[in-house]
Amino acid sequence: MPRTLRYTARRLLAGAAMLLALSALVFLLLRAAPGDPVDAYVNPSVAMSPQDMAMLRERLGLDRPLPVQYFAWLRQAVTGDLGFSLQGTGEAVLPLVLSRLGPTMLLMASGLLLAIGLGIAGGVVGAVRRNGAADLSLSVIAFLGISSPAFLTALLGLYLFSVRLRIAPSGGMLTAGAAFSLTDLLAHLALPALLLSIGHTALIMRYTRASMLEVLNQDYVRTARAKGAREFSVIARHALRNALLPVVTLIGSTIGVAIGGAVFIESVFNWPGMGLLMVTAVRARDYPVIMGAALIIGGFVILLNLLTDLAYAVIDPRIKVG
Amino acid sequence: MAAPKRSAGPTRRALQRFVRNRAALAGLALLVPLLLLVASYPLWLSYGPNSVDLLARNAPPGMRHLLGTDGVGRDVLARLMQGGRTSLTVASLSVSISLAIGFLVGALAAFGGRWSDAASMRFVDLAMTLPPVILLLVLASITGTGLWPTVWVIALLSWPVLARMVRARLLEVRERDFVVAARGMGAGVFHLLFRHGLPNSVDILVVYATLQIANAILLEAGLSFLGLGIPPPEASWGNMMNAAQSTVVLEHYVWLWMCPGAALVLAVLAINFVGDGLRDAFDPRSGLN
Amino acid sequence: MLRRTVTKLALSAPLLAATGRGALAQDASTISGGFDVGPGGMPGNFNPMTATAGFTWLSLYLEPLVIYDAKLEAVVGALASTYQVSPDQTAYTFRLADARWHDGQAFTSADVRFTIELAKNAASGSNFAARLAAITAVETPDAHTAVLKLSAPNAALLDTLTKVMMLPAHALSAIPTADLPRHAWWSTTPIGTGPFKFNRYVNGQYVALVANPDYRGGKPKVDRVVNRYFENTAGAVAALRSGEIQFSYVESDDVATFQNNPAFRIIEGNSYVVNYLGFNQEVPVWKDVRVRRAVMHAIDRAAIIKSLYGGAALPADCGYVSPALVPPGIDAYAHDPARAKALLAEAGWAQINGSKPITLLTYYNTPLAANVMAAIQAMLAEVGINVVPRIVDVPTYNSIVYAATPDWNSFAMVYAGLQNGPDPSIINIGLNEKQLPPAGANIMRVRMPKLTAAFDAALGETDGSKRAQRYQDVCRVMNADLPWGTLWVTSRYGVASTRLKDFTWIPAPAGGPYEAHPERWALAR
Repeated sequence: MPRTLRYTARRLLAGAAMLLALSALVFLLLRAAPGDPVDAYVNPSVAMSPQDMAMLRERLGLDRPLPVQYFAWLRQAVTGDLGFSLQGTGEAVLPLVLSRLGPTMLLMASGLLLAIGLGIAGGVVGAVRRNGAADLSLSVIAFLGISSPAFLTALLGLYLFSVRLRIAPSGGMLTAGAAFSLTDLLAHLALPALLLSIGHTALIMRYTRASMLEVLNQDYVRTARAKGAREFSVIARHALRNALLPVVTLIGSTIGVAIGGAVFIESVFNWPGMGLLMVTAVRARDYPVIMGAALIIGGFVILLNLLTDLAYAVIDPRIKVG
Repeated sequence: MAAPKRSAGPTRRALQRFVRNRAALAGLALLVPLLLLVASYPLWLSYGPNSVDLLARNAPPGMRHLLGTDGVGRDVLARLMQGGRTSLTVASLSVSISLAIGFLVGALAAFGGRWSDAASMRFVDLAMTLPPVILLLVLASITGTGLWPTVWVIALLSWPVLARMVRARLLEVRERDFVVAARGMGAGVFHLLFRHGLPNSVDILVVYATLQIANAILLEAGLSFLGLGIPPPEASWGNMMNAAQSTVVLEHYVWLWMCPGAALVLAVLAINFVGDGLRDAFDPRSGLN
Repeated sequence: MLRRTVTKLALSAPLLAATGRGALAQDASTISGGFDVGPGGMPGNFNPMTATAGFTWLSLYLEPLVIYDAKLEAVVGALASTYQVSPDQTAYTFRLADARWHDGQAFTSADVRFTIELAKNAASGSNFAARLAAITAVETPDAHTAVLKLSAPNAALLDTLTKVMMLPAHALSAIPTADLPRHAWWSTTPIGTGPFKFNRYVNGQYVALVANPDYRGGKPKVDRVVNRYFENTAGAVAALRSGEIQFSYVESDDVATFQNNPAFRIIEGNSYVVNYLGFNQEVPVWKDVRVRRAVMHAIDRAAIIKSLYGGAALPADCGYVSPALVPPGIDAYAHDPARAKALLAEAGWAQINGSKPITLLTYYNTPLAANVMAAIQAMLAEVGINVVPRIVDVPTYNSIVYAATPDWNSFAMVYAGLQNGPDPSIINIGLNEKQLPPAGANIMRVRMPKLTAAFDAALGETDGSKRAQRYQDVCRVMNADLPWGTLWVTSRYGVASTRLKDFTWIPAPAGGPYEAHPERWALAR
């Protein structure tokens, strides 16, 4: 497999270059944004003199020319040191970002799994009972899901399930201060994952339905039916398997985006993921955290793309890499 | 996937397919009156969207104010209409911009030769590697709040996918005889883009536009929630719904968030229906059904 | 009824299965709260020397030498059991309480010297350096006495000292000063002398303290206190209503949710922040005092306070609202649009600016603030002043008003707030001509000799009994010359479960610190 190896090496090299460009771009974007970490730190109603602010800038190295700051960051970054957060007590960026990756992936994976289950089931029902009552109501629900803003469904969900019905905790990932338990984690996960899945469910349902409709018209399905196969087996064995191919592609494309976190759900439910980290970091103009997170997420996306391409080549020998 | 040939046939057939699509027609039946209402509201509504009346705060829907009033006594219907103008303007402007960027980058990649292809595609890759969360938040803090900044944020966030689709389509077109001939005769890039590129990707552009408008309206609402987007007192559906952050509003003054919420869902629903209808109409395969 | 129950059951089934019942049950000996929610909080910060807020939480395990009482009226002893000020006000003598650090070591005057010297040193990241600059020496005649020597009298010293949390010399002196600001010690193993001990910090989620059984004020009534972080106040309100936490700061427009509910007690207090419309003095349109007076008469402050703030604000006719600092007989600027129009006509407003838009910049971005801005805009429009609100985030706001080369028109007018107490000298930084940037935070570039003279007289007043009189003079000048259009001082709110007993909390600026006596807090079953 020297060919595959060479290809992988080349892709990795290109990925590294991409990360470099990415870091420069994020750096430039950040510095173009009005206000720096010191501006974010000063509370306007508890005034601070610009002299003191200048001293803080000097201590943080924010007074140096931009290229110097960028290369200083880069020099550290290549050794794996992503610096320290400028908020609170200044945690190291690398462990901070990595500690937020897990919760985000957990939330995303559960939301996506729920969505895949519900979406495919709904899509199949819709296709089989095309234009029937079930299909129409599922369609309406799906479109409602696609067209509701995430923050509103999150606020409503929080109010309904946590305040009114009191069957879900009001946020966080674990009961504060309690020892870890799996049931506790699941209890905190259930509601945000459910709300997160709404949009994805709707999308997957629509795609599954469309693709099922097409497959159901294909010859081999008709043949299977003509041979007297039971309807359930026709759908489950013949139609569904083929209909799912485009859906799988759709799911694959959402995973890369998912690592970035769900800003709205995470901030309403205080889920300690990447989205929440980013919202607070941008508000505090926490340059090191934003740069570090961009680098790590970018790296994941690049790796994931590479793995997908390699996997395609393994699954389908007709696709050649390189 | 074969591109439609440049004859009246496919377009007319697409139109016929669209007219036969009941969902798409229902979408149009929702969308057209909505647009008319939003555009004409100063003619039939006596309240202005920003006229404050501290003596009539949080009034429930009734005869005086059809959809009630908000926390400073502004008429919710008037704000809903003005908010519709804002939200739909933001959506259509941002989609137009991202259409332009996406098409130009995609088409230049396809027609501009090896180097411009590589350069623009790496740029697209870069834009797609950049986590959307970061791009959204950082971009929004750079541009600040307001109508045009919001338009740019949404536009810059959504063009890369389109650029890829356009490139894929036009790479195929590039190898066709008439394009090869035109290139051979030294046709300029401009000619290639607008004579051959545009007509051959119009179906992608139309479908993308309708679907993206719905997305843009949602994105504007999300930006408002984060304190970005369209700042009050200017009305937009997004910042009107933002009032739901206050538990009292969420619980007791439901009309304040339900009205813009319903308007947004209706608009997005209608645009989605129309978009789906257009996709089906332009997609030759749907003729099989 | 039956149908509702059925729906409720159907909805709850999957969630209940996951909940497993026990997870939501509350531990009787743990108080949970959103102690860092709202403007007094600073989530994630445990370094008291870089803290600009968050002292409510920090003062559960760290203690200052002196502290405000729970009415924010007097400075009383904390780690110093008593203190004396020399007649010339250049020596402060503190008699230290018999206290122990959480690791059992005794708290001594050496710790006081270590802490003050650290706080004076800007290299430690301390933001007290400038405020403590007048201290020339910390003398320690014995282990229980510390004397601060000053180069000149400083009326604000005690106020500053309430925020300087004492730190253990034996634990920190080994750490290089430059590494201190971001040292892991603060968020892992800090020790103090307070009623609770640091236990655990989970990034972005919560921080937990456990009782210090050896606390000199008595063993705390509860075993643990947990501080939960909330990105969104809606989350805090939900947690409070569902009984997961027993206390949180809440926005004033959320208070109605808890009214008439016997399970909750609403705590209202002075925000000590005066809200004002800043007239940028570099922008010619505000030069004429008649224009500034017209703005005051145009705005119906009484109506805004009554309807938008639900009555929970005091109109401010100068920088202060406390009766001791407001002289009788100053202009109350009643709502009078006709008068405002007349004043504008007299000043020649049509020539000065007319209907050209004026940017009204603010960093207040709550839905309530948006409503206030809308009301102000409408009221000013009625008399012919066309302001266009621009709401930005805090870093953007600061970068505009503190810019090295400012664009004056981008903040021709601001809607802002400045802390005005408990020490009244604190607004000097925003109004005295000597505090023009970069020296201070006089961002509206107020250059009014009478006002500067009034502030200087008040700051230099060494006779404590005459100080209030001097600040009345400041108030009188502010009221007549209108460097700002002062609006109001609002109330802030906390909501506590009625299960919480002997619980003390006030919405103090920056979260205090004040005498909260956390060792007495208890939780009823």
